[in-house]
Amino acid sequence: MKRLYFWFALVLVMSLLLAACGGAAGGSQLDVIKKAGVIKVGTSADYPPFEYIDESGNKAGFDIELMEEIAKRLGVKVEWVDMPFDSLIAGVQEGKIDISISAFNYTEERDQVVDFSDTYYDGEDAFAVADGFAGSIQAPEDVAAYKVGVQNGTTQDGWLTGLVDEGLLAEANLFRYDRADQAALDLKNGRIDVMMADSVPMKALAAQLGGLKIVYEGVVSSGPMNIVIPEGATELGQAINEVIAQLEAEGFIEALALKHFGQ
Amino acid sequence: MLQNFFSYILQGVSITIAVTLVALPAGLALGLGLALVNTYGGPWLKRLSAAYSLLMRGVPPVVLLFILYFILSGNVVNLTPFWAGSVSLGIISSAYQMEILRGALLSISGGQMTAARAIGMSRWQAIRNIILPQALRIAIPPWSNEASIVLKDSSLVYALGVPEILRRAQQLSATTQQPMLAFGAAALIYFVLVFLVNRGLDTLAEKTKLPTQAA
Repeated sequence: MKRLYFWFALVLVMSLLLAACGGAAGGSQLDVIKKAGVIKVGTSADYPPFEYIDESGNKAGFDIELMEEIAKRLGVKVEWVDMPFDSLIAGVQEGKIDISISAFNYTEERDQVVDFSDTYYDGEDAFAVADGFAGSIQAPEDVAAYKVGVQNGTTQDGWLTGLVDEGLLAEANLFRYDRADQAALDLKNGRIDVMMADSVPMKALAAQLGGLKIVYEGVVSSGPMNIVIPEGATELGQAINEVIAQLEAEGFIEALALKHFGQ
Repeated sequence: MLQNFFSYILQGVSITIAVTLVALPAGLALGLGLALVNTYGGPWLKRLSAAYSLLMRGVPPVVLLFILYFILSGNVVNLTPFWAGSVSLGIISSAYQMEILRGALLSISGGQMTAARAIGMSRWQAIRNIILPQALRIAIPPWSNEASIVLKDSSLVYALGVPEILRRAQQLSATTQQPMLAFGAAALIYFVLVFLVNRGLDTLAEKTKLPTQAA
């Protein structure tokens, strides 16, 4: 039995030592990344055309190409980490990934646990319905009368949840999906009446699936898209912001948007 | 296109197999220890192991996965997503494997222990040489259920960004809007894996069958 205690104590001491080593890594996050020459970037590669897997199995999309260019100018390589969308913020928070780019919009709730870079693209929301839809959606709040689908953890989800909290939309009529394409399929199959998403991927989904149409477009919950950086990583944030400003000035971002969104 | 589809998803197979190869043996080692402690240990060990089993069977694997990866890992020990996933599946599985092995141990009649002790064997000798060889054989068929469950549960590591079969199918489904094809391919691959594992274990059960066991 004594021997068992010995091993137990040893493991405990080892793990404490390991923890201490982890905490002692000095320097700002930017220095650590530059030293390693690699930046770990989280994304959820299931949101075309922002981020997705192309025919040959590689990551592709607007965010992917933008991030590769930003990293190139910072003098580091991107190591992509693919995670479900709702794991990404936790991943940045806990230092599992350095930053995350995944069509993130700024929200106050997110800002409490992570920081945001400057805006790299201005998003809009869109509402889509199936072709045979008999109702009418003139204003965003009109969706409260229908069964609405949305991707879990998105700003659109936040806005619709707000409608539920205000008592306008019945909780039972809000359907949250892991991925946007699941919601779009249910929309086509008639399980939900309306779907809300960022307008660019919403249009892409509608075009690809067919039988869906956009009935409303505008800024509702969406808006500026930003890269998620860890809370308090100011130097890293500044370095990324400088590159974003450069790319903006050079027309790189505009050209990229034209290539991926056709607008 | 169909071929691209299949080969992209197929690349996830090695990860699925690796996760299973860590989780299943780890769960077996831990589960066997716990089953022995629970069957032959003192009252406190019995209570402790029973509480462990109750707790771990009550926690959804994905919850343990998140606790291990996002909360403990980084603060206590640094686990990669692969190890965090494999270890948490192994822990959950150990509780189920403990129950399987406990049932097998209890199915060996108490008279055998008495007889072994009567000819001068120690308790441990009797367990090792008389009880365990029989109990392990009896446990193979229910254990093969657990093996296929762990194999399929290995898909949960996708929540931490490990690109195994299911996550790859999801990505393809999102890109191509052909969920039938993407998930059909994933299902087919899982089916083949589970089929192979179960057939292998059936053969093992047949080969090691005791004369006293029914066909």
